[in-house]
Order: sequence, then C-alpha cells, then structure tokens
Amino acid sequence: MSTAAAEFAGVTQRFGDFTAVDAIDLAIPEGRLTTLLGPSGCGKTTSLRMLAGYNTPTSGTIRIHGVDSTRLPPEKRGLGMVFQSYALFPHLTVADNVGYGLKLRRIPAAERARRVQETLGLVGLAHLAGSRPKNLSGGQQQRVALARAIAIRPRLLLLDEPLSNLDARLRVQMRTEIRRIQSETGLTVVLVTHDQDEALEMSDLIVLMRGGRIMQQGAPREVFSRPANRFVADFLGYENFLADAAGSLLTVRPEHLSLGAPAADGLGLEATVVSTAYRGVDLLVTLDAVDGSGAEVRLQADVRAGDAAELAPGTRTTVSAAPEHLVQLADSGKE
Amino acid sequence: MFRKPALLMLPGLAFLLVGFLLPAVAMLLAPPGEETSAVLTRFIEMFTDPYELRIIGRTVLIGLIVTALCVVLGFPIAYLLARSTGRWGGILLVVAIFPLLLSNVVRTFGWLVLLGANGAIGRLLTATGLVDDAPQLLYTPLAIVLGLTQLFLPLALISCYSAVAQIDPGLDDAARGLGAGRTRTFWTVVVPLATPGVIIAATLVFAGSVTAYTTPYLLGGSGQRMLATQLFTYASVTVDWPAASATALIMTMLVFVVSGIASLAGRRGATS
Amino acid sequence: MKTRRPVAATLAVAGYVIMIVPILFVVTTAFSSGSTLRFPPEGFSLRWFEAAVTYDPFMESLVSSLELALGATALALLLGVPATLAIHRGKLPGRGFVEGLFLSPLIVPELVVGLALYQQLMIGLGLNNVAALLVGHTALMLPYAVRVTGASLALADPAVEEAARGLGASPLRAFRTVTLPMLRPGIFSAALLGFVTSFNNVPLSLLLQDREFRTLPVTMLDYVQQSYNPRIAAMATLILAGTVMIAVIAERTVGFAKIFGGINR
Repeated sequence: MSTAAAEFAGVTQRFGDFTAVDAIDLAIPEGRLTTLLGPSGCGKTTSLRMLAGYNTPTSGTIRIHGVDSTRLPPEKRGLGMVFQSYALFPHLTVADNVGYGLKLRRIPAAERARRVQETLGLVGLAHLAGSRPKNLSGGQQQRVALARAIAIRPRLLLLDEPLSNLDARLRVQMRTEIRRIQSETGLTVVLVTHDQDEALEMSDLIVLMRGGRIMQQGAPREVFSRPANRFVADFLGYENFLADAAGSLLTVRPEHLSLGAPAADGLGLEATVVSTAYRGVDLLVTLDAVDGSGAEVRLQADVRAGDAAELAPGTRTTVSAAPEHLVQLADSGKE
Repeated sequence: MFRKPALLMLPGLAFLLVGFLLPAVAMLLAPPGEETSAVLTRFIEMFTDPYELRIIGRTVLIGLIVTALCVVLGFPIAYLLARSTGRWGGILLVVAIFPLLLSNVVRTFGWLVLLGANGAIGRLLTATGLVDDAPQLLYTPLAIVLGLTQLFLPLALISCYSAVAQIDPGLDDAARGLGAGRTRTFWTVVVPLATPGVIIAATLVFAGSVTAYTTPYLLGGSGQRMLATQLFTYASVTVDWPAASATALIMTMLVFVVSGIASLAGRRGATS
Repeated sequence: MKTRRPVAATLAVAGYVIMIVPILFVVTTAFSSGSTLRFPPEGFSLRWFEAAVTYDPFMESLVSSLELALGATALALLLGVPATLAIHRGKLPGRGFVEGLFLSPLIVPELVVGLALYQQLMIGLGLNNVAALLVGHTALMLPYAVRVTGASLALADPAVEEAARGLGASPLRAFRTVTLPMLRPGIFSAALLGFVTSFNNVPLSLLLQDREFRTLPVTMLDYVQQSYNPRIAAMATLILAGTVMIAVIAERTVGFAKIFGGINR
C-alpha cells in the first residue's frame, strides 16, 4: 500500500459563521494523483490552500510526510502549487519564472539553467525560454506555471483548477499531459476540480466533497460504478433515481436501460415515451414510469439509434435493466 | 515587518498626523498668542461684516459662474472627444490636458497680455471700431472668471470624459432604434448616465475656484479680493492670526460642504 | 465628424480657445525683440531667453524647486508605498478610513495647509522654511503616492505573491522580487505626477518663502507684479519645453493616459 504523503486529521476551517471545511479526515497517497472533486463552495480549494499553507485551519492537524505542518508558512513547506490564474511573474522571462524557486535555493547558475531547460522540455516549451508571459497563449502559460512548480522538485504538486481557463480542446490535451508528467516524475499530485470527466480520466483517487465534508472517496471505477449517495450519483451524471418496493433509493445509468424487451430479473417497468432526442449515434429517450414504491418517475434511456424502433411520444413500452447495473444509494447525501 | 502589515502604514500615518493634521487643527483652534475663542469670535464677525461678506459673496459667485462655464464648455468637448473615431480625438485630449502639468502662474499670466488696456483684445476692439476707448478688462471679475475657467476646464474635461466613455455606445443605437432622434437620445440617455461624472467635475471646479490664489492675485488686483488673497493679506501683511484662521475655516468649510453635497447626490444617483 | 452637432462644436471651440490661447500668447511673446509684453510681439529675438537664463533669482529658485520636488517625491513614496501595501493587502478593518486619511490633503485648501505649517511649524516650533516646505510638499504628494500605486496594486494578481511564497520566498523576498517590480509603472507615475505637482506649487509654498530658499513659481509671481517684460514669458516657455520633454519620456516608458488615471477622484 502507498504510504500517506499528507494527512488531514479533523481539519476544520471557519470564516466567522461560515464553515468552509468541516472536520475532514483524509490521507493523500504517495506517488499518486488525488483529485478533490465537487461543486463550487464545497471546500476543495480551501482544503488545498490549507495544505499549501495559505490558510491556517481553525482546528485539526495537517501532516506532511508525517510531520505536523499545520502552522508552517508556505515558503517552508517545499510544495509546488499551480494557481488557477497561473500567477506567472510578468516582469520575468519564462526561464526566470521557472528558475525562481531554484535561485532561492541558491542552486548555482549552470545547474539552474540545466534544470530549467530540462523542466521546460518536460512540458514541451524549451523553445520559449526567453519569452515573456504576456506573449504566451493560455495553454502555454499554464505549462510554464506547471514547470515552475515542478522545477523545485516539490514533495507534493498542488493544482488548483488548472484546466478551467482553457478551451475545450486544450483541456482534453492537458489532461493527458498532466497525467503523463505525473507518471514520468512519480510526483504526488493533489488536484482540485469541479469537472467530473477530468477527475475520472486523471485520478488514482477521487475525493468527492460537498458543504465542507467528504461524501465519498475511492478509485474512479469504484466511485463511478458504485456511488455512495444521491449527491455523488447526481454529480457524476447519473440521471435516473427511483425507489424499489422496499423503499431503497436506486439509480441506474441511462445507457444501461433497455427498451422493449421485458427483463428476466432486475428492473422491469411499464413506461410511456415522453420525447426523444436524436444524436446521430445514439438516441436519448425520456419516459415516464411508476417505480417500485408507486412514485412517478421520469427516466432517461440512452439507446443506439439503430436498435430503437419508432418511438413516437405516447408509445407504451417496457424499461428494463440488469441487476448488476442497479446501484443502491445509501442516502440522499444531504447534511 | 511583513507579518503585521499594519505596521507598514505607521510611518506614513505618523507623518500625516504631525505634519498635516495636527498643525491644521492647531491653526484653526489655537493660533500662536491667541485664544480659541478669538478665532471663533472673528469667524462669527465675518458673517456680519459687510466688507468680509462682499469677499465671501464674490468668491462663491465667481465659483458658481466658473463651475457653470466649465460644465457647459467642458461637457461638449468631452462628449465629442469620447465619441470620436480617428486620431484627432486622442491628440486634442492630450492638448487640453497637458496644461495641467504647468504651474498656474505660467497658465494665467497670458491673460495679462490679452486683457490689459494695451492688451490684444483691447486693441482688437478699438481697431475694428467696436468701441472708442480700449476697455480695461483686467482687474475685473470677468478677468478672474476667464482665468479660472481656463485653469479648471481640463479637470472638468477629464471627469466628463471618463463618464461619457463608460457609457455603452450601444445604448445610443438602442434608443435610436426605438425611435428617438439624436437630440432626444443625447438628453435622455447620455446626460442622465453622465451626471455622476458631471457632479464630480462640478465639485472639483468649485472647490478649486473658491480656494484659488494665483489667478485672483494676478487678474483681480486689490479691488477684486477673494477668500484666498484675503487670507494671504491676514497672514502676511496685517498678521492678524484670528482673522487668518477664521478665513481658512470658511474656505475649508465651503469645500467640505460642497464635497458632502456632491457625494450625497452621487450616492442617491447610484441607488435610483 | 463634428459638423453634425453645431452647438456642441461651437461650445467646444470656445472652450479650447479659452484653454489654449493664453498659453500661445505666452510662448509667442517670449520671442519678442521689444521690451513689453504685447501681442503681436515686436520683432523676433532670443534675447529674452538669454535674459531669463542669466537672471539669478530665476535660476536659483529653479534649483531650489527641483531639489524640493525631488526630496518631497522621495519622501512621499517612502511613506506612501508601504501604506498602500498595508491598505490593499493588509486585510485590516477600517482600511477605507485609513485610505481616506491619506487622501485628506487633497480636500483641505493648499493655502490653509501653508498657513498652518507657517504658523505652527515655523513660528510655533521654529523650523526653517525648507523643512516646512518639505513637510508641506510631502503631505501634498502623499495622496498621489497612495492612490496611483493603489490602482497599480489593485490590478496585480495577488496570487503572484502567493506563488512566490510557495516557491520558497520569505514575505520580504517575495515583496522585493515580485511585488515591487510589478508596482514599478505605478510608482513611476506617482513619482512623475508628484514631482510636477510639487514643482508647480504656489499656494502652499507662498507663505513659506525665505530670502535664502525660494521656489520658482512664487519667484515668477513676484516678478510679474514688478516687471512687465518678456523675460517672464521666456522663462515660462523654457518650463513648458522642459515639461513637454518629461511628458514625452513618460509616454514612452509608462503611457501618458495611465498617469492621469491617478487624478480622477
């Protein structure tokens, strides 16, 4: 098992009456990419900033490599942080930006230049060493910020919504980049994002937060296929929530619903088509049904366009799902 | 030092206190060799003394006229420049604002050449036969008004310009699309939105005019005294400390009252 | 472009005439060969420029004004820039009030401040006029130092300082190597505005003159009352030329418009 690079023990952050982070316990595994995922205001950025040292917890301890660092100032923690705005030094060249931390550590000029070149090569920007930040594109600036944080060989690399200012195409590209850099360097990375696709693609460990608390944590596959509660399921894009005869809350993914053929076991409901949306490869079908507890539910099914027969609104059909695709939720995920 | 940012402003605050606030208060309340009551007595007397009242009245009146002129002349300039396309707008703006970098002496004494009995305007008027004798325009309220207008137009211009520049030109298009003509658009869209900037301009101009020294001194002579020139006389010529402090008090109050009215008007405008 | 609005255009022209014509007159009469300030000037000559440059009271007071402006600017920045930092990054309660305090010299009439310093510092405490002038000019420039650099600071991304800290810089180091360089344009603008304000100042300096140390604008003011000849016009033209040069340098380095961004209250 990986040892913990950092640990939060009972960490709380209060601003006046408002509790941003509520007594969380979390272990960040060494050498892996951990993502703090959640909607805005859930406390993920505050937690990251406490780890970095820019905010001091109201109570609780933060340990980095076993040492209590709760009140240590940021410059003494040896962590690398990439800010959402990149925060590049506008008056310095790319090379000087990346070398800033090395200069502080009194690394001699020749060695510094070599490490800067090496790190810039790692992010693919060696040719821009002499440029100024204002002449770079958003994606390039982000990579410089990354290089600057990595150059100091930090104990942990912290990324605060690193991809949110990039356009869609770059975002997808950078996800792979960051993942590649993490595996090449073996760095422990903690990343904060509100984008579940990002989290699922990049992480070894996902920590879902809401209202300052941890809702669920685990590997992407585990979290995705077995959301613990309604909030997590909702956040990860599950559309269909229904209750069975015993009253337990269930959810099932749209692509796991079949139409027409009655099920052997698992879910089987009579439903009426409300509307369809043709999307080329697939067809989104919205249906009204009555679930096991007698409540009316609206379901979304995602079927292959080729498979579906004509489904005009009003058509009555059967909706079914295999038992392994039914996920039981613990609760609604409310506080 | 950087752990407690509050400490950073201590030297500045200490300086402000000792070098500015304390002397100002001390001067108003306790001039050397006099009682506080002397200042207050003199202050009240000034409002019953016809000589003083004339000075105060002249100062306020000139201030109001100059303010009106600066708004009436400055706003059109600001509007035209803010809405202009092409290079001329920028160049003309610089030309108007540049004189702010010069001292009031340099800017004002040109009027001596223009307005004196032998001055350019006088000789122009006699040459064209409009008048028989060249009129003495110097040392009149008109001269002071012209001089102060020249001084403060650039300031009014800057305020009005930023006010107009912030108005989305799309609003003009919207009004026109709804059927408003150009004049109506101007008065119903531009003017209301630019009003806060105009109020700031007016405040700056009025405050500057009632406290101006150089211009009334050069262009007004001893016949047309304003508060500032009178203050100098009390402080330097007659050495009448209570009177000097009282005059200073009147000047300061005028400025504070006008600034107060302006910020109230500004706040009311913001909520409406 | 302007012909569509005849009323506005007429008013605008009137405004420009009032603003510019007096200055034009000053410059043209400086080149006169006659000995009175008349327009149009009699003949063309540079002799009055020579007369201005060789006139001791002008030249001595010029040097005094420059020294005073430099000293007051330096002092105002030394006091004001840390104060700006405290106000904008210090997260103190009542920072609006403190900022208001630093801007207060703008509201009190300069003549009143001059009187206060004359009365309290020179007569009351026995300070000499140079000290009183320095105090007064510095107080006058503090609002510029605080306001203009404040605007610069507000535009800067606070995360940049945090980034420097995260990379290992102590707060002092982060300030020196990251914040201060970013403030350079703001500090330069404040210095320039302040310098010009101090150099040109009349009302505050009026009561603080002394045989040994006089400022140039007040010297020129006295001169106009006594002698009415083109020497003063020449001196004014020289000042105008100098100011144009400074403005051009400022435009090349920082941008003219940004400097005046600090004036708007």
